[in-house]
Amino acid sequence: MAFVRVARDGVAVTQAKDVALDASLGKRFTLKTDVVVVGSGAAGATVAYEMAKAGRDVLVLEAGRYYPSSQFTEHLGDTMTRIYQDQVGQVNTTADIIFVQGACIGGSTVIGACVMEEPGNKVLDRWASDYGLEGLSAEKFRPYLDGVADQLQIHINEAHEINACAHKVIQGCEKMQFSWKPAQRNVKQCALTGHCLAGCPSDRKMSSLVTHLPWAVAHGARIFSDTEVIRVRTRNGRARGVEARITDPDSGAHVADMQVDADMVVLAAGAIHSPLILQRSQVEDHSGQLGRNLSIQPFTQVLGKFKEPLYGFRGALVGVQVDEFTHTDGYTIFSGLAEPESLLAQGDMKAGEAHIQFMKDYKYYAGVNAFSTDQGRGYVQWEGDPYNGDKTIHWNPNREEFESMKASAALAARIFFSGGAETVFMPTFQSLEVNSVFELDAALDQVDYGLKGMYTFRCNSFSPHGTCRMGADRYQAVVAPTGEVYGTAGLFVADSSLIPEPMSAPIQWTVQALAKYVSDQINDNAHNYFIG
Amino acid sequence: MKNNNRAPLPGFLAGLEPLSRRGFLRTSVLAGAALSSGCASMFGRREAPETLEYHSLTPDEVEVITRLTEVMLPASQYGLPSSTDVVPTIQNVDTMAQRMPEQTRELLGLGIWVFNNRPMVSFKFSRFTSLPDDKALDYVNAMQEGSFFERGLMTTLKALVALNYWRDERTWPGLEYHGPVTEVWGVRRLGNAPLPRA
Repeated sequence: MAFVRVARDGVAVTQAKDVALDASLGKRFTLKTDVVVVGSGAAGATVAYEMAKAGRDVLVLEAGRYYPSSQFTEHLGDTMTRIYQDQVGQVNTTADIIFVQGACIGGSTVIGACVMEEPGNKVLDRWASDYGLEGLSAEKFRPYLDGVADQLQIHINEAHEINACAHKVIQGCEKMQFSWKPAQRNVKQCALTGHCLAGCPSDRKMSSLVTHLPWAVAHGARIFSDTEVIRVRTRNGRARGVEARITDPDSGAHVADMQVDADMVVLAAGAIHSPLILQRSQVEDHSGQLGRNLSIQPFTQVLGKFKEPLYGFRGALVGVQVDEFTHTDGYTIFSGLAEPESLLAQGDMKAGEAHIQFMKDYKYYAGVNAFSTDQGRGYVQWEGDPYNGDKTIHWNPNREEFESMKASAALAARIFFSGGAETVFMPTFQSLEVNSVFELDAALDQVDYGLKGMYTFRCNSFSPHGTCRMGADRYQAVVAPTGEVYGTAGLFVADSSLIPEPMSAPIQWTVQALAKYVSDQINDNAHNYFIG
Repeated sequence: MKNNNRAPLPGFLAGLEPLSRRGFLRTSVLAGAALSSGCASMFGRREAPETLEYHSLTPDEVEVITRLTEVMLPASQYGLPSSTDVVPTIQNVDTMAQRMPEQTRELLGLGIWVFNNRPMVSFKFSRFTSLPDDKALDYVNAMQEGSFFERGLMTTLKALVALNYWRDERTWPGLEYHGPVTEVWGVRRLGNAPLPRA
């Protein structure tokens, strides 16, 4: 076996500007490969590495730009402009929920908060029994989770990684007798800068940008950025490659059209974009579930203001998690307070003197991020022709989900009051600050469900999943237990779309383990898919 | 984003029938984008406002955004860099608008127009830009406590203005926020992780 060397820094990526300068390629060109991987985030990077390591010719296509870590500025606003999907303007049809996603080489792993959590044995065993996914039973899936943990250096936060913000959460939990634990993160020798959401310039976050992608390239994989896959090409019920469009990320100018001829297509563009690509490709959808079952894990941020300055934005971004309600009510609460810009996403930010004071109190704040579990009723839909149409994301809370969001925010507020907060700012579109735990219920009663729950809670989604769910019943699922799309040979999905039901844990760990599992399914049956 | 849900306008939007709910919602999308984006780009943030031209915002829109900035961010009164004379907040909003797709840009204009002209009895149907300081602030607060549509629009415009002010690092010392630290602290870059063991 040849000696494999990983680049010391950066990843070899062909960008739009490189294509524009290469006269031999022209405006329309074709590449051939064994496997084309669509997306370079948690799933795509893992598949690319596993397939390249197995000796396959791998081509990775990423719609976002290449933004090497050496250029990270630790300015959240600038980073959002450059590498967040739609400049953080990816929203549902009623525009009150933001779907936060990375749009760059490395995907959301670059901008994530590093929080890692397993799905839990009960969840995995239920997937095995209810969806016929025997390969995902706790016993069989354990080695995949452990493998990812080793590769990403996942560890339980140590004392120095628990900052003042997190300590307020701990104090509150201790008084309430709520179970809490240090969060698990994929960081190596964390420098405690608190700038996770703007990317880690010192490469301590074990994102795909510094792990699976350079490893894949070391094994011969090629990566294109600025390349959006429009649709999968199929012939006689079999995937044959993709059509893609290369666009300059700064000017928006169309640079070239690319066609890829491949033995296999693996979609890893995430739970929003993978089903949209399948819809644009008009693949068979026997189950009628393609794009449906969207679960968003609604996320709200609650701020507590304390008497003493905390400087809660210093240190590791996420320190502890409250796991008291994770398996009973589906709420998971993490400590965390990011850059000043993040305060503007919390809820009402007031105006005039009140706004200035709200911002000037930044050093007195601690933040908690409350995730609740939804019912997976959303869906994504491509509308229009493949090149000029629009994506639409449909999710609004029903009354039950609305009450669940309210309950998780209330729990977060109670934790802060128990920890000594003087005031708690609730994550609502209407101005809602509470000065005593005894006022909390009355204050929350002011938040009315209204019309489809619109513009009630200021809510984001970091972990959408479930839109191409995996299962053994082809009339209930989009993807078979092998990862192959029902009805289209040679077309696989390997990302969070596969998750068969709403889950409460952060999903990155599960997604990377699933991607490794799908890669193994392909490699173990390579004689069915590849010639030679 | 498309929304095919074409329900009739609810009663509290009376008088605004020519504007569809979809239009309002799309305007709010902008908000989301603005909020997030800090779409204001990095360019030109350090220029003095008086040297700046507006490339995308119309004079009427500049007037509304300027007034909203003055009302929402009376920063210089509290020892912070002025939101109009030091930090080019409105120019940043203009730069953001320049980078928007045409349809989104039109919707931003619609949102600004609706905000300025939203008829409210308690404000004698005055335009936002014609209100004195105290009334203008009351107007902003009333919108924030209004119907779901008003809350959405107000949150959007406030985020648009606030983000394009607070993203300027000259505002951070006033918050005792440290800003970027990796270089200051001399944190060593680790580079790519080594290949995992077989």
